[in-house]
Amino acid sequence: MNCNIRAAALACATIFSFAAPALADTELKIYISSQHQPNVWRKALDQYEAKTPGVKVTIETGGNTSEAQAQYLNTVMSAKDSSLDVLILDVIRPAQFAAAGWTSDVEGKDLSTYLPAYAEANTVGGKTVALPAFADAQFLYYRKDLLDKYGIQPPKSWDELKTAAKTITDGEKNPELQGLSFQGKAIEGAVCTFLLPYWSQGKALTNNGRLSFDHDAAVKSLALWKSFADDGVAKKNIAEVATDDTRKEFQAGNVVFAVNWSYAWAQSQGPESAVAGKVGVARLPAMTGGESATCLGGWEWGVSAFSAHQDEAKKLVAYLSSPEVSKFMAINASLLPTYADLYKDGDVTKAAPWFADALQVVETAKPRPVTPRYNEVSETIRTTVNAVLAGVSTPEEGASQIESRLKRILR
Amino acid sequence: MTTTTASGPGSFLSGKPLRAIAAIILLVNGMFPALWILFTSLKTEGELTAKPITWFPHAPTLQNYMQAFSDQPLHLFLFNSFMVALLSTVLTLLVSVLAAYALARLNLKHRGLILAAIIAVSTFPLVTLLVPLFEIMRTLNLLNTWTALVLPYTVLSLPVCTLMLVSFFEGIPRDLENAAMIDGCTRLGALFKVVVPLCAPGVFTAGILAFVNAWDEFLLALSFNSNPQLRTLPVGIQLYQGEFAFPWPVISAALVVGIVPVAVLIVIFQERVVSGLTAGGIKG
Amino acid sequence: MATTTSLKISADVEPRQAAWVRWLDLSDRSLAILLLAPAALLLALIIVYPVCRLAYTSFFSLSLTSGLPAEFAGLENYRLMIDDPVFWETTWNTVLITVITVPGALIVGLGLALMANLPFRTQWPVRLSLLIPWALPLSFAGLIFAWFFHSEYGVVNDVLNRVGLPGVIWFNSPNWAFAAICLTIIWKTSSFMALIILAGLQTIPRSLYEAADVDGAGRLRQFFEITLPLLKPSIVVALIFRTITSLQTFDIPYMMTGGGPGTSTATLAMYIHQNTVSFLDLGYGSALAVVMFALSMCVTAVYLRMIRTKE
Repeated sequence: MNCNIRAAALACATIFSFAAPALADTELKIYISSQHQPNVWRKALDQYEAKTPGVKVTIETGGNTSEAQAQYLNTVMSAKDSSLDVLILDVIRPAQFAAAGWTSDVEGKDLSTYLPAYAEANTVGGKTVALPAFADAQFLYYRKDLLDKYGIQPPKSWDELKTAAKTITDGEKNPELQGLSFQGKAIEGAVCTFLLPYWSQGKALTNNGRLSFDHDAAVKSLALWKSFADDGVAKKNIAEVATDDTRKEFQAGNVVFAVNWSYAWAQSQGPESAVAGKVGVARLPAMTGGESATCLGGWEWGVSAFSAHQDEAKKLVAYLSSPEVSKFMAINASLLPTYADLYKDGDVTKAAPWFADALQVVETAKPRPVTPRYNEVSETIRTTVNAVLAGVSTPEEGASQIESRLKRILR
Repeated sequence: MTTTTASGPGSFLSGKPLRAIAAIILLVNGMFPALWILFTSLKTEGELTAKPITWFPHAPTLQNYMQAFSDQPLHLFLFNSFMVALLSTVLTLLVSVLAAYALARLNLKHRGLILAAIIAVSTFPLVTLLVPLFEIMRTLNLLNTWTALVLPYTVLSLPVCTLMLVSFFEGIPRDLENAAMIDGCTRLGALFKVVVPLCAPGVFTAGILAFVNAWDEFLLALSFNSNPQLRTLPVGIQLYQGEFAFPWPVISAALVVGIVPVAVLIVIFQERVVSGLTAGGIKG
Repeated sequence: MATTTSLKISADVEPRQAAWVRWLDLSDRSLAILLLAPAALLLALIIVYPVCRLAYTSFFSLSLTSGLPAEFAGLENYRLMIDDPVFWETTWNTVLITVITVPGALIVGLGLALMANLPFRTQWPVRLSLLIPWALPLSFAGLIFAWFFHSEYGVVNDVLNRVGLPGVIWFNSPNWAFAAICLTIIWKTSSFMALIILAGLQTIPRSLYEAADVDGAGRLRQFFEITLPLLKPSIVVALIFRTITSLQTFDIPYMMTGGGPGTSTATLAMYIHQNTVSFLDLGYGSALAVVMFALSMCVTAVYLRMIRTKE
């Protein structure tokens, strides 16, 4: 009697264990920063689940800063953890993740349909390693009302900006009013601070991962920012200023020109802002004789190399990076689209009118050096920018320091 | 309350005005940052960038506290931190009491070596062991559990607590244990029924030490317990900041909420803690 | 803390063991092993095994960003370390922080303890103000003091201005930034020192001082010849752990300056963390960790020798 029951139980269990996979959904886990409005992404994912029977997607939210997430993901991926299938990555990370073998390549998508900078940012060794989630760039914010008052047009060059700032601050006679605010603290944004004038002189820092450093251009770039502080156009303690400090001070009405990311726009029009309705955005000024350039931001979708569901994950990434989702996120979450034509799209501009102005800036965006050792590059550049702005090194010394360190890192 | 020695090094300062000055210095030194955070938590963000800076909030508001609880599950962070700290305290005390007893009472040949080894263990900062520890926790399937944190936190406090308890145990005359054992107690029974109660102040001190160490830890908690349901306080507080934004008033409110439990524990146990450190000087 | 007094067990008392212990026929020695086992197990799992892995990895060239597998490299990482100016700078910074803040906290703690030892009517506010800095998490303290030392919105400059002194842009200069960090660390750790010293002060019997009074010794001499010597045992233990922890300084500089300007306030622990978690150079990071371990061990050995010679 016992034997029969046991046999029956064993048979049942075996049948169930074979049937189970067929009945169960594939469960994908996607890692999103809690900063990037996971609740809106959830809606996009719900639509995907409806379109794709047999797939369920759960969201895991991670740290709030790019740094904290990087730390977390670095620890987790170093240990080859397979619990995450899709990762959201800061635009500076795909190269590192691909080189470390943490992401799988995503083939088959034509990167030229996206904004131009993304092709470079997401291609490593000729392979596509991530697809864009949403875009971001640094803008020149300015006080429309003050510029109008003094009859000044948005400056096209840094010299013009300096003159304009001086005219306005002299005229306003407000000791709290800063001419220009930018980021001098040793944060990731300081890398952009260095690169903006450097790129504007037509120079690239890396070429396919190899260093192509122009010493003079670097000195000019560092000297430019230092001159703002020395001439009183920017604060003396500009080396202490982080991204949010710029935003807060601009929002409080204490800044004429500001270099900042797209997030500052919505806040400047918000109820707590003293400058709502008085803000304009323009391309960043160029160096004399050069072109305007801005720093590419935004985030990318990557597929974890340790995921047990490679195909499903790749399909999900392709979906999340599609024009439909980009439009959805632009309208519902105010995230900058990754496709140029969406900026002019009627529905999008109805939801976020300023995107029409934003396009001309985002078009000039360039990606920061695409190299696996980006963290070291970043560390070098941002600490040097900070040291120069603090007056600890001269622009000449700073440029030499960056050159020698980058030579060791990017051989 | 314990009376302090009125003679000795402090006595030439025992005049009233000097006592008042000393009191002010002590209170300012100890409480100033905590009070500043308290005031900041009652300010609005605009007030923070006002110049000259204000000390007391102009229009105190509890808005930040409400936001602190609504922006993030602060109560969950508190709960997790509390449980993890409590469990590690209990485990630390248990393990160090046993180990301290062995070192204090059983005449071991290599006692000095073992003590040195225990101290040496604390020379390894957990920061540097992050990656290997993560792998261990993953292999043991302990990620996103309280256990993953309780074990390292216990090790964190083990050396100090053990050393402290060793000196306490050595201060208790053996006759007391012997008396208990003559009365029919076992050796371990004597330990828990006689020695530990007598060393209660020391045990409390070690307990608070372990609790505070566990409460404060950030890096491991960040890496091991990523599940939002299991986040501890230091990790949770980091979540109030955005990629760029750093809302000081809300974060201050969260900090105040984070410090209050520990402060309460301290006030309750402060008598025991200081007398615990004092009683360690019991001379045979 | 107690000075060890060893009493001999009366010869005719046989320590009774629990039934199961007797059954296992355990001697004192075996019981000791049993009691030490939990601690040993925990330490083996959490410390010994990871440290061994760390030491093992330090002999390999393993950088996750290279995409290459680990390659045996012998002492290469250590050779790179010797040529690495950042290594020397961070080590020097760490040593400097230790040399400044450990005695600094001792002196400040001594002062605080002497003040706290005054006959106050209510004790608990004094005790609380000594305990709060200690109980405040390191990361919070770093955050708070970074704000305090902000050149525009910080309290420190505000106070300086009110007293008529010019404010300092603390984080613009390596020296001032370093000073700010040391001040913060001293503030944080002097409380714990003060607690230990206070406890010691309160156990010194009045009779000793009274006898010294009778002998005609002045207060200062009493301090140096009675108070300090009796405080020594507790102070030394506190100093050991404080020094070891100081060599591992991470949270406060990390939160306050991130190591800047440049690398002037970066510590060895920060450099290890950066190499391991950010640069993903596990081989080099492990080698740095091994060196930090060796440094701590040396310091520990020196201290232990100091204790041994006393007993």
